[in-house]
Amino acid sequence: MLSYIGRRASHSIISVLGLLALVFFLTRLTGDPSSLFLPLDSTLEARQAFARLHGFDQPIHWQFLNYLRDLVSLDFGQSVRQNRSAMEIALEAFPQTLKLAFVAMALAIALAIVAGSIAATRPGGFFDRIVSLVSLTGASAPDFWIAIVGILVFAVSFDLLPTSGTGSLAHWIMPVFVLALRPFGLLVQVVRGTMLSALSAPYIKTARAKGLRRKEIIFGHALRNSLLPVITVAGDLTAGLVNGAVIVETVFGWPGIGKLMIDAIILRDFAVVQSTILVTATAIFVLNICIDLLYAVLDPRIRY
Amino acid sequence: MGKTSRITIFATALMASTTWAVYAQDASKAIKIVLPEQPANLEPCGTIITNVGQILSQNVTEALTVIDAKTGLPQPKLATEWTRVDDTTWRFKIRPGVKFQNGKDLTAEAVAFSIKRMTGGTMTCNNMAKFGDRKIEATPVDALTLDIKSDRPEPIMPTLLSVVMVVSPDTPVDKPVNDPVGTGPFKLASFDTQSVALERFDGYWGAKPVIEKANYVWRSESSIRAAMVETGEADLTPSIAIQDATNSETDFAYLNSETTAIRIDMSKPPLNDLRIRKALNLAIDWEGLTQLFGDDVKRASQMAVPGINGHDETLKPWESDPAQAAALVAEAKAAGVPVDSEITLIGRNGIYPNGGEAMEAMVAMWREAGLNVKLTMLDVADWIRYLQKPYPEERGATLLQMQHDNNKGDAAFTIPIFYRSTGQYATVSDPALDKEIDTALATSGEDRAKDFKMIFAKARNDVVADIPMYHMIGYTRVGKRLDWHPDITTNSEIPLANIQLKN
Repeated sequence: MLSYIGRRASHSIISVLGLLALVFFLTRLTGDPSSLFLPLDSTLEARQAFARLHGFDQPIHWQFLNYLRDLVSLDFGQSVRQNRSAMEIALEAFPQTLKLAFVAMALAIALAIVAGSIAATRPGGFFDRIVSLVSLTGASAPDFWIAIVGILVFAVSFDLLPTSGTGSLAHWIMPVFVLALRPFGLLVQVVRGTMLSALSAPYIKTARAKGLRRKEIIFGHALRNSLLPVITVAGDLTAGLVNGAVIVETVFGWPGIGKLMIDAIILRDFAVVQSTILVTATAIFVLNICIDLLYAVLDPRIRY
Repeated sequence: MGKTSRITIFATALMASTTWAVYAQDASKAIKIVLPEQPANLEPCGTIITNVGQILSQNVTEALTVIDAKTGLPQPKLATEWTRVDDTTWRFKIRPGVKFQNGKDLTAEAVAFSIKRMTGGTMTCNNMAKFGDRKIEATPVDALTLDIKSDRPEPIMPTLLSVVMVVSPDTPVDKPVNDPVGTGPFKLASFDTQSVALERFDGYWGAKPVIEKANYVWRSESSIRAAMVETGEADLTPSIAIQDATNSETDFAYLNSETTAIRIDMSKPPLNDLRIRKALNLAIDWEGLTQLFGDDVKRASQMAVPGINGHDETLKPWESDPAQAAALVAEAKAAGVPVDSEITLIGRNGIYPNGGEAMEAMVAMWREAGLNVKLTMLDVADWIRYLQKPYPEERGATLLQMQHDNNKGDAAFTIPIFYRSTGQYATVSDPALDKEIDTALATSGEDRAKDFKMIFAKARNDVVADIPMYHMIGYTRVGKRLDWHPDITTNSEIPLANIQLKN
C-alpha cells in the first residue's frame, strides 16, 4: 500500500512539474501584462519601467529559469496586482472552495444514493419518475440561472436568505444547494442504473430466497456492490468542484480559488495563475489517490 | 417522514427565518457599500483606479485640491490658497491644524514627501499617469508653505495636484501599502479578502461626518449588487447595469465622465481621405444606435464631457445622413481613393454594456454606405496595442472602439492625447494643430477654455479624427435610508462625508 502511494506520488510530482512548465509558457504567450496593470494613459516609459521591475522585459527562457530557481526555494512569486505572495493568496482562497465543495458533494452523494436506490426498486414507478425529472433538471439547468433565480426567490421576494457573501450558516444554504444540484442529478442516474443491474443479479435472488428484509437487501448487499462506479463519477465531479466552482463563487461572492484563478487569468497575474493551478492540481492528485484507496476498501478483490 | 427528517426540516426553516437579522443592516450610522470589484490594494497612489478611489479618495486620503463636480475647477482642500510665482512655479499654503490619522501634523514637508513618493519611480504609481511626462519638484518654504516647480509652464498645477494623495511621512516609499494613513475624515479599520472597513476619524480637521462606519464588500454581478441594496443587505452600489436599474426611487442615472468614440487611423488609406472620415460619421443611424444605450445617454460631439473646462456646448454632434455618406464615398472613389480596401474595426470585449452589438450595427451601416469594413473583437491586452503608440506596423486601415475618461476638470487631459502629433492615442500629424494645442496648454483662464473649444471644433469639423458617440451614463442604486446622489465624480470617489441619513 505504502509503496503504491509512493509510486503515485512520484508520478504526480512529475505531472505537476510538467503542468507548471506548460502553464508558465502558455500564460506568457498571451503577452505582456504591463498594459493591463497601468492606466490606459500611462506613458511608454512608465510601461517599460513596470516591465523591468517585474522582469517581463527579459527573454521568456530567462524568466522560466528564474521561476525554476525560485521554486527550489519554495518562492512561488509575487502577485503583481496585490503585491504579496501569490501562494499566500492561493492558500487563503483554497480552503473556502474546499469546504464548499465537500459539503456540496457530501449532500449530493447522500441524497443521490438514497433517491437512486429507492428509484431502482420500482423502475417506472411514481418515485422513479419524480427522481428522473429532478435529476435531469439538476444535471441540465445552468448553475448561474439556478443561482440568480434562487436569489430572486429566497432573498429578494421572501427575504429568507442572504443574497450572497459569507458569515453565517444561512450564507451556506444557497451556494451549497446550487453547487450540489448538478452532481446530484448525475449521480442519482448512476446509482439508479447500477442498482438496477445489481438488484437483478443472482446473489440478490438468493438473498431474497433466504428471507432477508428488503432494506437489508438494498442497502446491505446491492448498494455496496454498486458503489464502485458511483465513486468513480463522484470523484470526477469532486475534482471539478475542487478546481473551482467559478460560477457559484462569482454569483454568491464566495472568496474561493475558482474566481481567483479566473480573475488572475484575465488580468495576467502570472504568479497567481501558477500558484492556484499548483494548489488545485496537488489537491486533485491527492483526491485521486484517496479514491484509489477507497476502491480497495469497498472491493476486497482490489489490492495495491 | 421519520422523526429525524422532520427535525432537520424544522431546523433549516428556523435557521433560515431567524438568521436574516445577521446580514440585514440596522438603522445605525454604519453603512455598507457594495463595489463591483475587490481592490487589489489600498495604495493612495492608485486612487485613479475606480475601486481604490471609491474607498480611499476624500475618505481616508485627501489632496491639496479637490475638483468641483459642477464647475470642473480646483477648490481648496489641504491647501487653503495658491499663487503662481512664475511660469513654472506655484506656491501653496498648507491648511494649519490638520493631523494625520496617526496623530502627526500635516506640514509642507509631509506634502513634499507625498509628491516625492509618487514621482520617485521606486514603485508603480498609477496616479502619475495624469502627469504624463511632466516632471515636478516640491520644496518646502516654511512649515506651511510649499513651492512646486515643473519642467514646463503648467497653468493647471492646482488641478493636477488633485490626484496627489497626501500620506503620512511614515509610509514606505518603495512598495504599495494596504494600511494607508491620510488626513481624511475616516481611517482604515480593517482590510481582508472579503471586506474593507473604515471608521470615523475623530481628529478630522473639517466637519464631522454623519456616518460613523463604512463597510465595503464586492460582488461582480450587477444583479446581485442591486438585490443587496433592495433587500437592505447593503446601502449603496455604484455602476449597476441598465437592466438592473428598475426602481426610480433608488436608482439614479448620472452623466459619468466617460465618452465613447471610434478613433479613425488617419495615416492609412482610405481613412486618410477627409470625405471617407465624414462619411463614417454620417452613415450611422444615431437614433437607432442610441436604443442600445438607453435614453439617458447624451450624444457626443467631442471627447470631453460637459463641465470640463474647454468643452464646447455649441458644438453639434454629427447628424445621420446615409445618402450623403454614400455620396461622399462615391466622390472619393471617383477621385481615386481606394474605398474598396478593407478597413478593420477593432472592438474591445466588454468595454461597455452592448459595446459588441453597437460595433456590429455600425459595421452594417458603413457597409451600406459602400465601405468595406470588417469587425474584429479583441480582449483588452490585445486591443491596447492598437490604442497606444507605437501602433503595430502591420495594422492596415483601422477604426478603434474606445472610451475616454476625463473627470479632472480640464481638456488638457484629453486634447493633447488625441490630437497632438506626439499624443499617445493620436493618429493626427498636423504641425499647425500642434502649435495651437501648445498655445492652449500654456494659457489660463477664459483664454484657455476658448482655445480648447476652438481645437475641439477643428477636430470635429476639419480634421475628423474620430467618431464621437456618447457621453455615457452610470447607474447607482442608493438605499432608501441614505440621502445622497451620485455625480460625475462617482466613478472615482464616494465621499462618505457627503452621505446623510434620512430621518
